[in-house]
Amino acid sequence: MKGFKAILIFLSPLCIGWFSLFVGAYGITPFMVIKILLNETLHIFEICDIPEKAIVIDIRLPRVILAGLVGAALSCAGATLQGIFRNPLVDPFILGISAGAAFGCAITIGFLSFLPLQLIAFVFATVSVMIAYGVARTQGEVSRLPLILSGVIVSAFFTAMVSIVKFLVDPHKLQSIVYWLMGSFSLADWKAVKVAAVGVLAGVMPIFLMRWRLNVMSMGEEEAKALGVNIRRERLLFIGFSTFAVAVATSLCGIIGWVGLMVPHLVRMLTGPDHKTLIPLSISAGAAFMIAADTVSRTLTTFDIPVGIITALTGAPFFIYLMKRGGKEAWGK
Amino acid sequence: MVSVRNIYFRHKDKKDDVLKGISFNAERGSITTILGPNGSGKTTLFKCIAGLWKYYQGEIYFDGNPIDKLSFRKRARLFSMVPQEHEPPFPYSVFDVVLMGRASYVGVFSSPGKRDYEKVKEALTTVGIEHLQDIPYTKISGGERQLTLIARALAQDTPVMLLDEPTSHLDFRNQINVLKKIKEIAKNRSLVVVMTLHDPNLAGLFSDKVVVINSGTKIAEGKPDEIITEKLIKNVYDVEVRKSNINGQSMICPVL
Repeated sequence: MKGFKAILIFLSPLCIGWFSLFVGAYGITPFMVIKILLNETLHIFEICDIPEKAIVIDIRLPRVILAGLVGAALSCAGATLQGIFRNPLVDPFILGISAGAAFGCAITIGFLSFLPLQLIAFVFATVSVMIAYGVARTQGEVSRLPLILSGVIVSAFFTAMVSIVKFLVDPHKLQSIVYWLMGSFSLADWKAVKVAAVGVLAGVMPIFLMRWRLNVMSMGEEEAKALGVNIRRERLLFIGFSTFAVAVATSLCGIIGWVGLMVPHLVRMLTGPDHKTLIPLSISAGAAFMIAADTVSRTLTTFDIPVGIITALTGAPFFIYLMKRGGKEAWGK
Repeated sequence: MVSVRNIYFRHKDKKDDVLKGISFNAERGSITTILGPNGSGKTTLFKCIAGLWKYYQGEIYFDGNPIDKLSFRKRARLFSMVPQEHEPPFPYSVFDVVLMGRASYVGVFSSPGKRDYEKVKEALTTVGIEHLQDIPYTKISGGERQLTLIARALAQDTPVMLLDEPTSHLDFRNQINVLKKIKEIAKNRSLVVVMTLHDPNLAGLFSDKVVVINSGTKIAEGKPDEIITEKLIKNVYDVEVRKSNINGQSMICPVL
């Protein structure tokens, strides 16, 4: 039963991705989608340059892949952070990583366009998670509520810094910052997909390899030490890799919250808390969720709703549900 | 043999030493119990021996080799630790919790292999909890959790096992069960077992050697029968007791 669920979760991004290719403002039949894809990859069918081909290959496919990569990065980072901080209520958004990355991007777009965008995003994302962690840490342990509060503080600080950048920047650049910050995949193209693929892979792959150690680390600092884990070094590795993946994702599509919180919980409910299965299944469920959310965001109305709005609309009630279900225990001491 | 030599410990920014030069030996195939009242430095000493607090002065040797400077990974292959039972943030299965004992044998970028799974099965059988292996650790009783943590220490496959107040959250029956199991394992596998306990009677029943500490210094060391006396208990705990003999076992009973 568990294995069956795992296979379903594993295949979900492919199914939802395929579905996403044929729905939209311009209706394309599912069969035509397959035909176009086969033509593009294997050159079996001969298709002339029909509009369907351009829509699928140049517009929808990169958007679906980008959404999938970003969703995978965010939920893998969420599962990792929940594990190392032993806190089921955190994700990259709540800890202020997204806001830090957004500030790094805004300042690069606005003033320092000669610097590499993703690198600056990573630097500020790292600064923000370190501050959130440092503030919350007392006597070697990080309690749940202080960590969430310090994340809120860091988030508020970097959001304010982004506002300052918006205030000071040249109006032409302001437009692109504002549009990008809302969190949307509408600007997706193959170039963005390449950047996302490299960045997300570099962040997610090491976490995937190290995933079993998250079990040990989630037992707490002293126990992990006694079990032979160099907890400081390994925690730094996990934070570094997940922050990198989130920074790259944020640099491409703005701030998208709640995915990293929700998806690992849903996977835990279905297939259990063991990080050996949790991490890979969170990666594919995150991809599926994000593709689905993006499909809704572009088909619900005649214009693109920023996908961040869709994820927040589902995420906020979910967070309340988690809080209520966990009761006092969820907050801990 | 584990030999603890002249351990001094002081907390950061504090003036007074918590431990003031403690030394003792613990032999293979026997249980050595550290006994002392709250605030005596018992837990601090335990954490120093377990390698959790590294900034102590003095040396700890295993079979003549100093272990103070070993990495966490190397140390975890010599010393296993059974913490007080607690609730982890996620409901891992008993099997997954025991598997964590293999962390020091699994590379940073890999996952446990066949040999690790075999060790876990063996540890579960030794402790007698193989029927619990698929149940979430959060759903079992306190005694079963303590046994799970002991199985995890066995899976760690170390010559030394350290236990931090293994009976503190248990009812009477489980206290006896857990300590009997520890004694059996110590003998069968000829492990060096060092534990801390609150109850002088339990220490007397199950230990081969007792080390009594108070205010960071060692008060007495030796066979429980010989050193747990009316005078020592009065001195350390400030409680009047009478010592008597039941079935060849000396016990102390407070005078009310």
